[in-house]
Amino acid sequence: MNRHDCLQALVPHISDQLVVPSVSGQWIWGELSKHDGNLLLGSMGNAIGVGLGMALALPHRKVIVLESDGSVLLSLFNLPTLGSLNPDNLVVFVFDNEAYSGSRISRPTATAGKTNLAAMAKDAGVSYAVTVRDIEAFNREMSLAVKEKGLRFIVAKIEETFEHRKVQRSDVDLLENKYRFVRYIERTEGIPVFRGRG
Amino acid sequence: MDQDLAKKTVEQLRRAGINFVTYLPETRLSSILPFLEAERFFQLVPVASEAEAITIASGASLVGKQPACYMEGTGLFVCSYNLLTVSVRLGVPLLLLISYVGSFADQRNSFRFAPTGIRTEAQLEALNIEYQLIANCHDLETKTNDAVRMMNALKQPVALLFTGDFTA
Repeated sequence: MNRHDCLQALVPHISDQLVVPSVSGQWIWGELSKHDGNLLLGSMGNAIGVGLGMALALPHRKVIVLESDGSVLLSLFNLPTLGSLNPDNLVVFVFDNEAYSGSRISRPTATAGKTNLAAMAKDAGVSYAVTVRDIEAFNREMSLAVKEKGLRFIVAKIEETFEHRKVQRSDVDLLENKYRFVRYIERTEGIPVFRGRG
Repeated sequence: MDQDLAKKTVEQLRRAGINFVTYLPETRLSSILPFLEAERFFQLVPVASEAEAITIASGASLVGKQPACYMEGTGLFVCSYNLLTVSVRLGVPLLLLISYVGSFADQRNSFRFAPTGIRTEAQLEALNIEYQLIANCHDLETKTNDAVRMMNALKQPVALLFTGDFTA
């Protein structure tokens, strides 16, 4: 199982959900999905927090976070907050390749050893936290997670691949993407987001 | 911080339109929390780190909330990465409510707080975050309203540093 296959399987399930990819998945996700509800962050350690804020502010809207092992390890304080707040409209996928592959020397993350992110999430209070190890199990968990209520934390153990390096990077910068996302929210929620006027 | 000042601070936040507050309790301004909790107008989000106070509030801001992040001044250093990589880089309106521990007018200043306090304004300037100091009740209405207007006009985080009477 690799990240590209998982993300490709997710694409047909996206309709009006809000999707927040962390930096490691955003090139592939940006290539596969042109959904206006994608918010690209371009940084590590921020996606769960941003997705959680959206989920709390719009409790009727499903929010999907696409995370990675290195990024979650950078923001472990998110786990008890997720467990305590327990938003039933948030799904966190963690694509865990057990490596800092963006570093280009592929040093192992802690999940290559004894660290188990799903177990950590569970002990932090996230009652539905599982690890999947093949594409069939991923598809099963993913298709339930995107349509059913309940906070889900799904760790997908994936192979380390370098396909993202072959993807031509988008010329849509983070600010342009933010405005597209915000206008999508304004359009679909019928609310103002930015209050400042010219 | 006395109860009356805490109550007025919360009333002013509501009048300015703040409706979503992430927080990590600290010593100087903590008496605002019962007033925030008593007011259903505010959606309150307790956090484990100032870092996620920023990311959670940023997510809420991008879907229509008018958020504030309440933290101790030392927390500014904890969350600087998140401010820079999310809120400042993307341009996200946020109001930072910072208890200015270790400042000259901090009524409970000590060797625990002064070393970070004297670097707080320099840190905000390094992050390109506009800020105002509030030391007493007389400035509360004007400076809170001004800060909320500025954060929306600039589409950036803006900070209020609470010192003086707010730290007693």
